[in-house]
Amino acid sequence: MAERPAAEIAVPSQDPKEKKKKEEDKKLDTKANDVKDEDEELSEEDAQLKSELEMLIERLKELNTDLYRPALETLRTLIRTSTSSMTSVPKPLKFLRPHYPSLQELFETWSASENKSLFADILSVLAMTYSDTEPRGTLRYRLLSASLLPPTSKISEPGSWGHEYVRHLAAELGEEYTIRQEGEEAAPLPAPEAESDASESKSAPVPGTIEDLHNLGVECATFFLGHNAEPDAVDLFVELEIVDRIASLVDANTFGRVCAYMDRCVMLLPPPDDVTFLRTIHKIYLQFSKFPEALGVAIRLNDAALIRQDFNASGNRIMKKQLAFLLARAQIPIEWLKAPASEDADAEDEFPEDILDCLSNTQLSRHFKEFGKEVGVADPKSLEDVYKSHLETTRSGLSANVDSARANLAGTFVNAFVNAGFGNDKLMVEAEEGNSWVYKNKDHGMMSAAASLGLGLLWDTDVGLSHIDRYTYSPEEWIKAGAFFATGLLNAGVRTEADAALALLGEHVENKSVPLKVAAIMGLGVAYAGSHREDLLTLLLPAVADDGVSMEIAALSALALGFVFVGSGNGEITSTILQTLMERDDKALDEKWGRFMALGLALLYVGLQDASDATLETLKAIQHPISRQAQILVEVCSFVATGNVLRVQRLLHLCGEHLDALKEKEQAESAEGKKDENKDEKKEDKKPDDTFQSFAVLGIAMIAMGEDIGAEMSMRQFNHLMHYGDPIIRKSVPLALGLISASNPQLPVLDTLSKYSHDHDLAVALNAIFAMGLVGAGTNNARLAQMLRQLAGYYYKEPDCLFMVRIAQGLVHMGKGTIGINPFFSDRNIMSRPAIAGLLATIMAFTDAKAFVLDKYHWMLYFLVTAMYPRFLITLDENLESKPVTVRVGQAVDVVGQAGKPRTISGFQTHQTPVRLGTTERAELATEEFIPYAHVLEGFVILQKNPGWEKEDTMQM
Amino acid sequence: MGNAPSGMPPSQPQGQDNNKDNKDKKAEPPKKKWEPPLPTRVGKKKRRGPAAASKLPPVFPATRCRLRLLKMDRIKDYLLLEEEFIHNQERMKPESSREEKNQDERSKVDDIRGTPIMVGTLEEIVDDDHAIISTASGPESYVSIMSFVDKDRIEPGCSVLLNHKNQAVVGVLEDDTDPLVSVMKLDKAPTESYADIGGLENQIQEIKESVELPLTHPELYEEMGIKPPKGVILYGVPGTGKTLLAKAVANQTSATFLRVVGSELIQKYLGDGPKLVRELFRVAEEHAPSIVFIDEIDAIGTKRYDSTSGGEREIQRTMLELLNQLDGFDTRGDVKVIMATNKIETLDPALIRPGRIDRKIEFPLPDVKTKRHIFRLHTSRMSLSEDVDLEEFIMAKDDLSGADIKAVCTEAGMLALRERRMRVTKADFTAAREKVLYRKNEGTPEGLYL
Repeated sequence: MAERPAAEIAVPSQDPKEKKKKEEDKKLDTKANDVKDEDEELSEEDAQLKSELEMLIERLKELNTDLYRPALETLRTLIRTSTSSMTSVPKPLKFLRPHYPSLQELFETWSASENKSLFADILSVLAMTYSDTEPRGTLRYRLLSASLLPPTSKISEPGSWGHEYVRHLAAELGEEYTIRQEGEEAAPLPAPEAESDASESKSAPVPGTIEDLHNLGVECATFFLGHNAEPDAVDLFVELEIVDRIASLVDANTFGRVCAYMDRCVMLLPPPDDVTFLRTIHKIYLQFSKFPEALGVAIRLNDAALIRQDFNASGNRIMKKQLAFLLARAQIPIEWLKAPASEDADAEDEFPEDILDCLSNTQLSRHFKEFGKEVGVADPKSLEDVYKSHLETTRSGLSANVDSARANLAGTFVNAFVNAGFGNDKLMVEAEEGNSWVYKNKDHGMMSAAASLGLGLLWDTDVGLSHIDRYTYSPEEWIKAGAFFATGLLNAGVRTEADAALALLGEHVENKSVPLKVAAIMGLGVAYAGSHREDLLTLLLPAVADDGVSMEIAALSALALGFVFVGSGNGEITSTILQTLMERDDKALDEKWGRFMALGLALLYVGLQDASDATLETLKAIQHPISRQAQILVEVCSFVATGNVLRVQRLLHLCGEHLDALKEKEQAESAEGKKDENKDEKKEDKKPDDTFQSFAVLGIAMIAMGEDIGAEMSMRQFNHLMHYGDPIIRKSVPLALGLISASNPQLPVLDTLSKYSHDHDLAVALNAIFAMGLVGAGTNNARLAQMLRQLAGYYYKEPDCLFMVRIAQGLVHMGKGTIGINPFFSDRNIMSRPAIAGLLATIMAFTDAKAFVLDKYHWMLYFLVTAMYPRFLITLDENLESKPVTVRVGQAVDVVGQAGKPRTISGFQTHQTPVRLGTTERAELATEEFIPYAHVLEGFVILQKNPGWEKEDTMQM
Repeated sequence: MGNAPSGMPPSQPQGQDNNKDNKDKKAEPPKKKWEPPLPTRVGKKKRRGPAAASKLPPVFPATRCRLRLLKMDRIKDYLLLEEEFIHNQERMKPESSREEKNQDERSKVDDIRGTPIMVGTLEEIVDDDHAIISTASGPESYVSIMSFVDKDRIEPGCSVLLNHKNQAVVGVLEDDTDPLVSVMKLDKAPTESYADIGGLENQIQEIKESVELPLTHPELYEEMGIKPPKGVILYGVPGTGKTLLAKAVANQTSATFLRVVGSELIQKYLGDGPKLVRELFRVAEEHAPSIVFIDEIDAIGTKRYDSTSGGEREIQRTMLELLNQLDGFDTRGDVKVIMATNKIETLDPALIRPGRIDRKIEFPLPDVKTKRHIFRLHTSRMSLSEDVDLEEFIMAKDDLSGADIKAVCTEAGMLALRERRMRVTKADFTAAREKVLYRKNEGTPEGLYL
């Protein structure tokens, strides 16, 4: 990474010009050959200019010092006033170029004076033409000029020589700085010494201290900022490693563009820089009182103190509500916002009711239902509405369904996902007594059916619990378990004062019955995902540590803790899980549940980057193959959405191993008689454990997600993995595709998945179908729906695949096209950690679909609930009542770093709020009648009347 | 059809790979009894740029800045990873299996194809594996299409390979570009460079700005927030160096240079002209960045008028297609157009409106300075006797174009040659000039009645 900056400077902004110049030179040369005296080909004005310049130079060479000043001044004016096209060098520079060496010599003979400084200034401009042979001449003379000036007078601004000059200077500044940094590292040479011999040799070091460089850099940056070249300013500061100083330079006009540009860079920067960038952006936003933006950055930094500070920074109550909405969306624990008790105990500890409402998403259900009514999807959808089986291409006579239990189970999920949040589906919530869909299922199916209530009544804490309540008294254990889980699901992402989930489920964590216990544990995990609540720690942790419970319970407890403490890096849980991994016997760890234990551990480190190092080291000490799985999971979770290429490389290496081939080779070797203890050990468990490879594939998606370029490039990797990989890898590739473009149905992805869904390996096809569901989740994508219908016909004899097709159909119509599962929000900048946890956990269940989803643990599909959030835009007035305004919705366009003020959306349509937004869509207000409090129009946005707005017809007088 | 699940053409090697995988692990029970066949799609997929697999994500912003560099670096990193991965995998792959098997299969396919192979035209596709073909010699026939023929590349009207016995379709001939168009592509750059042009500095600069720079440094325009010009038209009296300048551009640029003469676009059959224009621009786009040079555009670009002649109308249609290609509904990529004509006033206004042709560059008759330059260019390799004073000719007030000057010099040389002299004298030049001027004015009647 160190050589990056150097490489960057190697592309000087002057390049085009240089080349043209060479051409010009060549032209000159050829002409000189052809023609005897080249003067003749010059036009009269040119000749005149040339002779004038030569005269001035002659004058400088004379001894008459009085003439120096006017001569220099004239030179300067001539150079400054010259204009030319971009294809050629300004004429004065062209004519002066041959004289540059002699002028340089002349310069050395002069004694220090103001004139000399002026001379140095001009030489500095001329040096631009010599940048290929004498690098950094411009900078050198510039600094000389500055140092020669008497302190009273001020050197002319670099900007007065024009844009190109400043650019050149900036490029040389960066170059020089890097050279100095490297030089310092090599041999700590004192700066003054360098200064003393600066003026001696021609390619002498550039004078001035680092501080001088910085100052000059600031000057250049100021010029850039004033001339619409914000990226240049930022780039220069990056090279000089003083990015933080840009905050003091920006003004109300430029800060937005500067921040947007820096924001885009963050994803692509190596680790220490990105945090510096974010902090700088944060500082700038605060400086200009842009609290929502600042808070967004703080959330990305995951810095509790910063979040609290931002939240409390704004005195405006309405703004605070808006911030609260943002925090609620990101599911930041409320505890973070309260001042630490030790610091100032008497600070206001309780939030006013209305803000607390916003913070805990209490109104989400109400608004969502209203939104549903507004966009006309409030009516419940039946299964047939989703399947549209009359459009399927089934052959007549063969349509008899083989496995009706499976079909009913699929119906459960489809019903749950499609009618999620509306609380009015016909099968479960509104079903007549005793006629509920639950009873159409058997055994474990009942659990999922009962749990589907939680999804149907999602976020509705008032009414929902009473609906669920009647099932909790059911004599059937499975139904009871389902009801518990439903309680948890219902409360996902919503917080209430009653804390119903904990109150209802807390006691059942210790229940004897395994299903009940599991349901209670997972219910708690889902309900409190991302809340970091300490009381749950004490409740759930014993189950992890307890050697007596089955691996299932332990692993799921670990997972639940992972959900609750996602991205917290909680040491206590870490050590407990690690302990368990060390102590449990191999047989237990070999179980399929091991992966959830590892995932629980990994979720603790979501987005923490290097903080997971210690854990990784400890994991290495564990002998069991699960260690390898856990290592990968922890690593990818900590680097999720960073786009870290080195990690991707490592994961690719892991995927590149062919375990089967390796094993065969080893066996052949051992057959020859060579014995090795390691090999014996490996042979014992017959088949080397290759689960880690599947995690590695998912890991690539995890790391690359959230950044467009990486995401697109990783698709190519997946293509290769599919081509070369072992079955386990091929099986995971569709899942990775689904993960990376969740709720974002792009055509290439759909095409690829559609291809995979016809794969010969049924496991691949199954996962591909599920991935299609993920990719289209909540989009109502017609093409996808058509593909799935076709698949339903194609796989009508494969119950597993058909089951999955149905679920995928349910996902595509999730919330009747109003709920998405993309973990990124706020213009796809902020990652929701609980959402990542939910997605990953669901997908984890598919890494061994036969053992989980197709077995008794289909309820794991409900893990998606933490990632589910309505993809709406609701505008509210200051009293938090819905307020319809017109907005334009269109595809988001990346306009960062472009000149002027291009449109940020393309192909837009105008709607009345509330509206739904696709993953890559963006909204903007159609009129300027209102000013939004939020910076991104997404979710809840509070509007304020624009006092300066006038109706258009009054303006047209 | 558009919603068919197999939207992507199945990549051949992968398919084979799958099969092999399956064969390897016999563990999977053969439980698939019946599988509805994947709906095949016939016909070429609409090509939008290169294949999706090989396409790299676009990088914004286009201005030169660190963000762009970072993004490019990121892409490069990923490509390196990819390279490394594939390299490793290819190395680890057991060599024996793949190559031989491929070879086997290949030879088997060759056997089925049989020799000799005939070439025919596909007239119509009947169903997935039957089609009607016609051969140059005989009548049309209904034949089967072999299963290994790539259906994606078959479309009505394409050339197919036929088995010599049963005439089954055994392959598709890549008829990528119209041979007429491929001729237009300039393989050898002309030798004329900018240095060979006397004067015309403004014109050179303008053409550089509007044709070369957008291809080499698009970021300059982006920074300014403008769209670079799409094309230029060069006009002026004959012999003022329009074609020469175009040659110099071709010499200088590394972009694909396609050159056409307007009259080439006039074809015998209805619809062939417009088709050729389309082909031309398609090829240009495929090989982008590219420059299309259409000389003597007035051949097809004259003003439209009511015409009863079918030929006229066809020419006008050709021009309409050109209009569409220049600024139509589809955006063209990095394709710049240079046109040259003597008679800009006869051109259709729609053709040269801004947006289609953004810059009109006039080539005037050379002024004194330019004339001097041109004379010098042409006489630099001639041995002149001392008495030749070029200034005399330069200063003379006749309307000499660049080409005329060249003609004078050549003629003078010829005269000297006729008398077997090794030097060209002033008398030669004077005579030559007389001659050239006489010839030049020959065409135009001196009086009304001759």
